[in-house]
Amino acid sequence: MIKDITLGQFFPGRSIVHRLDPRTKVLLTMALIVVVFFCQNIFSLLLMIVFVAAVNLISHIPLRVVMKSVKPILIIVIFTAVLNLLYTDDGRVLISFWIIKITDQGIETAVFMAIRIMLLIIASSLLTYTTSPTQLTDALERLMSPLKAIKVPVHSIAMMMTIALRFIPTLVEEIERIMNAQKARGADMESGNLIKRAKALVPVLIPLFISSFRRAGDLAFAMECRCYDGDHGRTRMQTMKFAWRDLGALAAVCILIAGIILLNIFVPDLI
Amino acid sequence: MAYVLQTEDLTCIYGEGTPLRTVALDKINIGIEQGELLAVIGQTGSGKSSLIQHFNGILRPASGRVLLNGRDIWADKKNIRQVRFQVGLCFQYPEYQLFEETVAKDIAFGPRNMGLSDAEIDDRVHEAARYVGLTQAHLDASPFDLSGGEKRRAAIAGVIAMRPQVLILDEPTAGLDPSGRDTILGFIRAYRQETGATVIIVSHSMEDVAAIATRVLVVHQGKIAMSGTVEEVFSRADELVAIGLNVPQVTRVFTELNRRGFHVPKNVYTVEQAGNILLQLLHTGEGKA
Amino acid sequence: MNEKAMIEFRNVTFRYPSEDTEETRPVLQGLDLTIRPGEFVAILGRNGSGKSTIAKLANGILEPDEGEISILGLDSAREENHREIRRNCGLVFQNPDNQIVATIVEEDVAFGPENLGVPPWEIRERVDAALRAVGMYEYRRREPHKLSGGQKQRVAIAGILAMDPRCIILDEATAMLDPHGRREVMETVRRLNRERGITIVYITHFMEEAAEADRVIVMDGGRAVMDDDPHTVFSQIDRMKELGLDVPQVSELMAYLGRHGVRTNGAVLNAEECIESLSQLLEEA
Repeated sequence: MIKDITLGQFFPGRSIVHRLDPRTKVLLTMALIVVVFFCQNIFSLLLMIVFVAAVNLISHIPLRVVMKSVKPILIIVIFTAVLNLLYTDDGRVLISFWIIKITDQGIETAVFMAIRIMLLIIASSLLTYTTSPTQLTDALERLMSPLKAIKVPVHSIAMMMTIALRFIPTLVEEIERIMNAQKARGADMESGNLIKRAKALVPVLIPLFISSFRRAGDLAFAMECRCYDGDHGRTRMQTMKFAWRDLGALAAVCILIAGIILLNIFVPDLI
Repeated sequence: MAYVLQTEDLTCIYGEGTPLRTVALDKINIGIEQGELLAVIGQTGSGKSSLIQHFNGILRPASGRVLLNGRDIWADKKNIRQVRFQVGLCFQYPEYQLFEETVAKDIAFGPRNMGLSDAEIDDRVHEAARYVGLTQAHLDASPFDLSGGEKRRAAIAGVIAMRPQVLILDEPTAGLDPSGRDTILGFIRAYRQETGATVIIVSHSMEDVAAIATRVLVVHQGKIAMSGTVEEVFSRADELVAIGLNVPQVTRVFTELNRRGFHVPKNVYTVEQAGNILLQLLHTGEGKA
Repeated sequence: MNEKAMIEFRNVTFRYPSEDTEETRPVLQGLDLTIRPGEFVAILGRNGSGKSTIAKLANGILEPDEGEISILGLDSAREENHREIRRNCGLVFQNPDNQIVATIVEEDVAFGPENLGVPPWEIRERVDAALRAVGMYEYRRREPHKLSGGQKQRVAIAGILAMDPRCIILDEATAMLDPHGRREVMETVRRLNRERGITIVYITHFMEEAAEADRVIVMDGGRAVMDDDPHTVFSQIDRMKELGLDVPQVSELMAYLGRHGVRTNGAVLNAEECIESLSQLLEEA
């Protein structure tokens, strides 16, 4: 049932990766994303693959779940790979017909690109698999807190993100309910051209807007009743403290970066 | 006797192929006769909402059939809208579906989807408004300026205006105060008497059910647990309580008195009934344990 | 008076702001109302009787046009009192979906104490205690949208409990729930009232729920037209019906017998009282 949709893609667990400070995870994930593009040869890329696979193993995320995150972007991966394949002119020509020319360099770039994009996705979904949406918004709020000095409403942005996450399932349910109600009165939402279909959405959108405003009003009342006053004197139940394991994670990523740099420099390109 | 609505091994499954697979309805076989006022009761999650959403083709059976006047409603998929005009379903809290500038236009939404002429639509809007007790002033107003109870009635009128052969109301009195509730139950009763339409109502309020139903269907864990007249069903109060349902207060009192050995009947569900029986027993002294 | 009233309305008039003020009838008209600490009060009234407005006024969310409102002696017109008033007097709303802020149950319960600036370790303690008090501790890591209506309302109650209040106002908090959910909420607040002495103001239109309170106030046209113990209120059947309300079936039954010359021993409020009373009558017949 639609009620069972899960927010984000958090995959609860107690692994060391889950227990890392979310700020560490955000920062290290960003580092990994950058590092992926510095893997210039097959060895550094292999090292990167091993690292990401190891973290996946440690965090006990099933392979099935990992693959699920890659699936939606598979088209993009293939598309970029094909583009790289066709538009690389350097290197030895392997196959050539009509205007298409496939070179060994082309194959190499295509494979590299595909692996890089997949690593990118897997690394960043590791973050969302092991961190609850609330922890994530919390971490972002704290990491961005220096921006308060230049009047960026960091707390409000984080609050909005939390509320949006909280209300997505509620609104999805509501849309379904309203659509069914209008269908029961003979609304036809499945046939006709684009304009006709857009028009058919009016009886759904108007009630949806009205109820969303009502919900927003109610929620504002409820928050005020619970003494909400922005981040004035606000404390948090979940404290974030860097622990030894965060230092460990940091060290691991540093070693990874060093390894990749060394491999880039000292191991010559094989192909 | 031919049924208006009938189900044959109706089965409904959510989340097929996932670990969350649940059987919401398990081979349901029921028949609903023309002119009945059927109350469907059951706990939240019993499958009663899924059941009524199959009656007008909002949901499609995983297996089994739903027959309207003897014909499978899914025989021709393109015809499903026609089915929805014949089996009018009014969802819970229907006031949240209102969207037009005026109440009249909103009530006209269904009839307009049916492709009727303007004159015919106007006719039906006024007729439906009369049934639910809305005046011309209400019809000209914006639906958002009405009171909660009036909005509810306007939304129900929007379904009545399609002149369905079967009218289904999911929790029509939920969230209303007692007078709002009485108004709605009153016009449902009158509507059925005047039009001879079949009415199905889903309710958590056993007092409402006792007051208006001609037959009660108890749904429990995707199956039909009981079916019978109000009297028959409420006389099995113990079983109803066992599956987590309530019974009207007087039924509970009479069931308990009976259990304590007093010679009182168990099939009592309205105050008047109960009062008359007690007056007689107190007079003759025959109720003693 | 040696004890401060929990909630006190003195001659309060309120009308919702509108363009054509001449047409709008005040929602509350010169309302006087005193609720003492530890009471369990039910407020009844048809839609538009002003009963829900009381909740928002008591919490300082709305301001009265005339008259004074004080909560534990704190004047609600003064903005600097609002925090203390809201901490002491929490509000549970009708729609369970529209009052839960966070995506995890325990984080939502923590919202109130976080706003009050309670230290983190103490928030943790309060959240756990509050969730245990409403029987939702096992659900602390769940996502609120996957809970039933009754469970969501219990989470909302926990969210208020975590602020350590003296009073909880429930504004038709059971209107959207099924009978099972209504029972859950009723039993929870009754226990909080008995065991912790928390004042409960229970605004409802379910007569059976109001019958469980210690005191019933009936609102009509912006005034408190009845204010008594439930036995007295529910024995006035004609009056209640006149006010667009109802009485529990059993109260009506006993009154019916009374009208037909049966000498009953007073009004009854629930099935148990009715069974006792009828057992006696039937034995004596």
